Amino acid sequence: MSEIRLNNVSKSFGGVQVIDGISLEIGSGELVVFLGPSGSGKSTLLRMIAGLETIDGGTLTIGGKRSEHLAPGQRDVAMVFQNYALYPHMSVRENMAFGLKNIRMATSEIDRRVQDAARILEMDALLDRRPAQLSGGQRQRVAIGRAIVKEPAAFLFDEPLSNLDAALRVRTRVELAELHQRMQSTMVYVTHDQTEAMTLADRIVILNNCRIEQIGTPMDVYLYPSSRFVAGFVGSPGMNFLKAELSATDGKQIATLGNGSDVALSVDLPPGAYELGIRPEAVQVRATPAATTGKAAVVEKLGDRTLVHLHLDDGTSLTALDGGRSEVKPGDIVHLDFDISQLHLFDSDGVAHHAK
Amino acid sequence: MTPTTVRRINWVGGIFTVLTVIIAVLWAFPIYWGIVSSLKPEDEVVRPYIELWPETLTFRHYWFALTQTQIGSWYINSVVTAVGVTVLTVSTSLFAGYAISQLRFPGRTVLWWLILASFMVPTQVLIINHFVLMANMSLLNSWAGIILPQLIHPVIIIVYKQFFDQVPKDFREAAAMDNASEWNVLFKIYIPMNWGVTTALSIVTFIWAWNAFLWPFLAVTRTEMMTITVGITQVYDAFGVYYAQQLAAAVLAGIPVALAYLLFQRKVTQAITLSAGIKG
Repeated sequence: MSEIRLNNVSKSFGGVQVIDGISLEIGSGELVVFLGPSGSGKSTLLRMIAGLETIDGGTLTIGGKRSEHLAPGQRDVAMVFQNYALYPHMSVRENMAFGLKNIRMATSEIDRRVQDAARILEMDALLDRRPAQLSGGQRQRVAIGRAIVKEPAAFLFDEPLSNLDAALRVRTRVELAELHQRMQSTMVYVTHDQTEAMTLADRIVILNNCRIEQIGTPMDVYLYPSSRFVAGFVGSPGMNFLKAELSATDGKQIATLGNGSDVALSVDLPPGAYELGIRPEAVQVRATPAATTGKAAVVEKLGDRTLVHLHLDDGTSLTALDGGRSEVKPGDIVHLDFDISQLHLFDSDGVAHHAK
Repeated sequence: MTPTTVRRINWVGGIFTVLTVIIAVLWAFPIYWGIVSSLKPEDEVVRPYIELWPETLTFRHYWFALTQTQIGSWYINSVVTAVGVTVLTVSTSLFAGYAISQLRFPGRTVLWWLILASFMVPTQVLIINHFVLMANMSLLNSWAGIILPQLIHPVIIIVYKQFFDQVPKDFREAAAMDNASEWNVLFKIYIPMNWGVTTALSIVTFIWAWNAFLWPFLAVTRTEMMTITVGITQVYDAFGVYYAQQLAAAVLAGIPVALAYLLFQRKVTQAITLSAGIKG
């Protein structure tokens, strides 16, 4: 039993509301990622679970125990900080043992847990070193080790990879995923990096403007975004947004784009002005005339795929994903087709409607 | 072609080196002069011209200071009062600096401003009050009477507060997640992380307290309770005051301070380097 339940929690700093009535259930053994832009409230929400920020309203239950009034150390959670926060004057061993000594655990048990964590994280040889003698990646491991030895109900990660270089970030991300599979612990992970969110999460909680925009599996939020914000925030390169006028002709629905091209689709919406969203991989480059045309402005060769940045006749920008051996060159007029099963329409409130 | 080595003379560097050496000599000369004079017979000391080395080398003034005065008691008084002032000042300032920096309590800002304001008040202004207070408490001519009024060092609280402010709050939060009590946060995290400043402040306070003259001079009238700085004024014999004798006593008084600095110099440097690691 190590589920976390937030019920209508809120938080404000002075007069500024930073968390606005959020309710969320994180299942036992689940890895949930809080994803959102800076200032969305994701770190504050994590810190509220940790007890580092007070909860102004609502309730928090960790492992079945009401926890909103408990001190951080009594909530049975362990946190890995963005800057690791390893005590510089203590050895790795002392850093890991500090929390256990504070609860007066028997020395033999502390030693066993430190050795076990060191073995899991393959850092047995580092135990007597000080943080200053470790590389960034090794410090990260120690910070995780310090959390593991507590054998907590849940692990909280606050952007733990943001201080690592790109290559190390990828490697550590994989190690974290392996660690989660091995330990099957409840983990809450905060990041603004969608790749981390997509690769690590069982479920992603997307936050924006102090509220939850969407909760779902990585593929759910990618394929079926609930709002224009989620559609634009998740995915790299981002979703294309085109102005469209929806009409019904002869029983068929047609979205007319800004350049006059028509796109047939099936969606339960009344006629009117909408924004049409389509991911670059659903924009297909054709050799023969297709739904519309655009002029290639920039072509980015990425090896396995090619990103073609285009302008339509009305000046709208669009990105298409072509094969690695694409022959499109800047200045070319390119024929484009849309995979209508991957079209989304966003109304004036930003709510998403997915094509059937 | 034979390669030619062109040696460029660094004139600016050279000038700075010469200037530094001159200033160092100017600083060191009074110490040299005091030591040399304490090794001369009195008639050589009062000669109206400069002699950089004694014509007759003598240790009799040191012998006099060591055997004919109460220098032993003065040393003990100085050690006890200087160590007392150091331990009490540093420990109280450490708690005050930590509380003002890290704890949130009503009146915190007012307290901070009061401490800053007290920094502006020179000790001499308070000295009559201190004297009356100590007299009323019957603490004149006692170690406590010498120590207590010397514990007011707002600058040490200010330095501690500034150093504690610079410790990233992640450490405090990590300690909170680690179930550390406030006591543990202070003693296991903040003090070890600022060991450099504690060492440096302790040495500075010790030197201040050892060299203190005005208050110990007022607080003590009994010769056996004097500190060594005050005791020097008592180095005379039936024929009056002799410079060489007083200089010998002054050299003896200065030895512990010089030793303290020489011994802890490396420690201070090491400690400051360790503290610098906080920012890494």
